[in-house]
Amino acid sequence: MINELLLQFAQYLEAQEYSQMLVSGYYSWNWLEATHVLTLMISIGSLFIIDFRMLGWVLPGVSATTIADRLHKPMIIGFVIMFITGILLVYAKPVENVQSLWFRIKMILLVLAFINAWVFNSRMRAADGTWESARVAPKALRTGAIISLSLWCGVVAMGRFIPYDWVDCPKVSNTALLWASGCVEQLNAL
Amino acid sequence: MNNSKWDDRTIAAASSSVIIVGALLYYWVGEVQSTVELLELAYGSFKFFNNPMIF
Amino acid sequence: MLSNFLSNYRSVAGLIFVVLAIVLVEFFEVRTSVYPSLLPFFEWLKYSSWIGYLGITYGSIYATIQAVHLISMAIIGGTVLVTDLRLLGVLLKDIPSETITKGTHQCFKYSLSVAIATGIFCAAGVADKVYYMSVFWIKMLALLVGSCFMFFIKQPLLNSRSHSEIDPWILRILAVASITIWFTVAATGRWIGFS
Repeated sequence: MINELLLQFAQYLEAQEYSQMLVSGYYSWNWLEATHVLTLMISIGSLFIIDFRMLGWVLPGVSATTIADRLHKPMIIGFVIMFITGILLVYAKPVENVQSLWFRIKMILLVLAFINAWVFNSRMRAADGTWESARVAPKALRTGAIISLSLWCGVVAMGRFIPYDWVDCPKVSNTALLWASGCVEQLNAL
Repeated sequence: MNNSKWDDRTIAAASSSVIIVGALLYYWVGEVQSTVELLELAYGSFKFFNNPMIF
Repeated sequence: MLSNFLSNYRSVAGLIFVVLAIVLVEFFEVRTSVYPSLLPFFEWLKYSSWIGYLGITYGSIYATIQAVHLISMAIIGGTVLVTDLRLLGVLLKDIPSETITKGTHQCFKYSLSVAIATGIFCAAGVADKVYYMSVFWIKMLALLVGSCFMFFIKQPLLNSRSHSEIDPWILRILAVASITIWFTVAATGRWIGFS
């Protein structure tokens, strides 16, 4: 049911003139994708520096909360640009994305990464300031940093996998995989 | 020489930075110009949405 | 007099030598005459080397290595932005720029090593294609210039003294050069995929 609804919505978007203009533009798709990928350096670049500091891998002489606080703004700017370009990229190829297993996993990992970021932030604010200048953060924050690094590495990897066609609907016969990818036509034909 | 404000490392840093920024500006401005020219040649005008659907 | 200049101005002499070498290489058309002889190497890289074989045969390995390449690019970008925006006085203004420069350099070196290793793998899989792309060669040139600039020019100056002893405009132009060169490396890399 959910797969049918998602596909219908994607088909509705794909029929729109702007969606087709974005994807068939001489450079518009490339510029959008290039901006999306290059902004990784601002968003994930800042985020990883914060996580690395929690683990004591960079800037061990600087207070961890100061790093987290000062890099928060560039990180948010980076993520805002990534979301805008990401939404436009999905809008340009909605059906392809809705029926992509990698895109779906990426979205799940994104949600998990944001839940982790929220938990991490509240833990950091709740913790007393005694550890701030320590070389490594307390265990709970280190765990949060490792989870954050893993989830974001997963997000980048899934994003990179989307253009590949290994598990595209016509190539899959496994029912569970077809359902997970949202291959409505193939499921109906079974 | 290390006591001077304009010592070896400082001169090398300043001149190489100027060369790099100059060369990259030249490259990127050239890229923008050739892109605009290409799109104008293909479609008669330059637009972000230049594409075969809207001449 | 020349030996006096060379001993007192080693970095400047090195820079003059590199610029002269580039001018001579272009003037005597060395680049255009060497270029065809590189083709067999690129063909070997794709069809006969084990990394080329892995990249062509296993798409999943190739895509995973590409993802690692992207992540290392993001970390390089993060360290470059943090260091250079601090030198420009935009970010982390309350932390000494010497601390930031030293504290991020190790991370930059590791991520650059990973980016180069994974980049060789990625290039090997499409070696016969990238050989003909001018954007690939511009990326290689930018990578070489960026690395030399970082390890032989920028870091030696920034680590040699307190940054308050350096003219603020030199710190600014250093930061701008660093940001633009690493942006160029990343942007031309992304464009290889579109060409």
